[in-house]
Amino acid sequence: MIRLESVSKVYTDGGETVALDSVSFTIEKGEFVSIMGPSGSGKSTLLHILSFMDTPTSGKYIFAGVNVQDLDQNDFAHMRNERMGFVFQAFNLLGRQTVYQNVELPLMYNEIRQSERSARIERAIHEVGLDDKTHAEASTLSGGQKQRVAIARALVCNPDIIFADEPTGNLDSKSGAQVMSILAGLNRSGHTVILVTHEKSTASFANRLIQVKDGRIESDTRIQSIQEVNELIK
Amino acid sequence: MLGIIIGISSVIILMSVGASAQNFILGQVKSIGSNLVFVIPGATKGSRFQSPPSVQGIVIKTLIKEDLDALLHEPSILSAAAEVRGQAKAVYENNDTTATFSGTTETYFSVREFNVVRGQPFYAQDVVGLNHVAVLGEKIADTLFGDKDPIGKTFRFKNLAFRVVGILEKKGIGPGGVDQDNLVLIPITVAQKQMLGIDHYNFVTVQANPEYTLEFVKSRINSVIRQNHRITDPDKDDFTIQTLDDAVAILSTITGVMTLFLTAIAMISLLVGGIGIMNIMLVSVIERTKEIGLRKAVGATRTDIIRQFLIESMILTLFGGLIGIALGAAVVTLIYFGVTTFADPTYSFELPMSAIILAFVVSSLTGLVFGIYPAYKASQKSPIEALRYE
Repeated sequence: MIRLESVSKVYTDGGETVALDSVSFTIEKGEFVSIMGPSGSGKSTLLHILSFMDTPTSGKYIFAGVNVQDLDQNDFAHMRNERMGFVFQAFNLLGRQTVYQNVELPLMYNEIRQSERSARIERAIHEVGLDDKTHAEASTLSGGQKQRVAIARALVCNPDIIFADEPTGNLDSKSGAQVMSILAGLNRSGHTVILVTHEKSTASFANRLIQVKDGRIESDTRIQSIQEVNELIK
Repeated sequence: MLGIIIGISSVIILMSVGASAQNFILGQVKSIGSNLVFVIPGATKGSRFQSPPSVQGIVIKTLIKEDLDALLHEPSILSAAAEVRGQAKAVYENNDTTATFSGTTETYFSVREFNVVRGQPFYAQDVVGLNHVAVLGEKIADTLFGDKDPIGKTFRFKNLAFRVVGILEKKGIGPGGVDQDNLVLIPITVAQKQMLGIDHYNFVTVQANPEYTLEFVKSRINSVIRQNHRITDPDKDDFTIQTLDDAVAILSTITGVMTLFLTAIAMISLLVGGIGIMNIMLVSVIERTKEIGLRKAVGATRTDIIRQFLIESMILTLFGGLIGIALGAAVVTLIYFGVTTFADPTYSFELPMSAIILAFVVSSLTGLVFGIYPAYKASQKSPIEALRYE
């Protein structure tokens, strides 16, 4: 599904900073991958490149058999809309809009028929267990509920991959566990999940852990439990 | 937003006032009578918008009784009335006023549709016999005679005694701003010989025979007067012929330009309003940076973002435009009530549909034009930087 070949990213603003240095790996469809690393290690840059929000300075990125270099900004937008879902640490909901309207947002940029939209939105809201909050204003929800709305929004276009950037960073442990259970459930139902996190407990939901340091892949390991994560990250 | 409201309401008010003034002026011109052709001394050179010299106050003595007599013998002419104008002091007992008089022929009443509502007009024998008779407008009759019945009473006009024989029906302000209800009509011979000391006419009004076209009648008048004045070269004409249509066309052009000019001034407030909208939208783009980032992250293209911000700025200006239209219509209604209550009850106002359509179009165009830059700025934001914006 995803193949990176010697991908580098160099920022030139105010001097040269190498954020990613010749990174290569492959992610297959249906995997649940955690990317961990200290601050400034390049994990967010890696996520941005994987999700077409940034482009590599050099190297090759193949997504679903397509060389990303051959795509333009409009293609990126369409790919993000149709094949990718996003969950952010800060939720990024439209506070004055309802849960329904927030979940509807990606469909506004999609050619899905109006008649099918409502069914999709309601199904996505149901999957995250917020049926009773459908018409509540997003700003009135708790942190955990907000993140579940964000997951529903990420789901509504039925993407191949869900990118989650520190999805539990702003949540208490109970809400965090709830959010991670939902993401794990989505992975079980066939979605590829790629998440960036600082937290070992969050990372332990994945079945593969990629550790990044100084822009390089430090380790890339299959995992099955938190003990294994603890072993890897001491 | 306030700029758009003021701009649009100004457009509505000015277009409405302009259209109403145009209707009023044209109504006055048309009220002169139908099928009329005016013969004015002096030639008009160049543009048809230029007035003949006599209208500009230059005394030209070329139009005389022989011309009127010749015109009255022309089969394509139903009737014709000559006219001279002046001002004099009118006195009755303790009342006095300065009044405009029209020395004219007995045909004037029918040609100009001046109906006598009390008493009678004066007749041909009064003109020939230099009789001191007068037909008064309603207002001057009131000023001089108050509650008394003016018919048969004698007043002094430039130290001559005139007997009132008739009172005209109310006519209002005529073309050129003359208050036709303050007019004193007297036989032209008396006005020429005893009041002004002249032999020529100020102008002649010709009523065309409806069996002929106005163009034909104009050509006949040209021939008759050229023959009388022994003119062979049309470039040497010493008179001008104008129809009401000419006058209407000229006045329409003048009032149209006036309305356009006033509307252009209103457009300046729209421009200021548009710049205001642009600033609001630029602030909105900054405030909503995170939202723009989110929209781009979930699949909005640059075109989608541009479209969204353009629609928002158009809605903003259209909303302002709607308030402006309502405000403009309210002010026009107030002006209408003011004018009809305190000035002229017959004055009619109109709110042209074109003004409303123009206001709609202009307000949405303002939103479109002034929304382009903020929308472009929004579309250029990188989704990562926009999502990180605090």
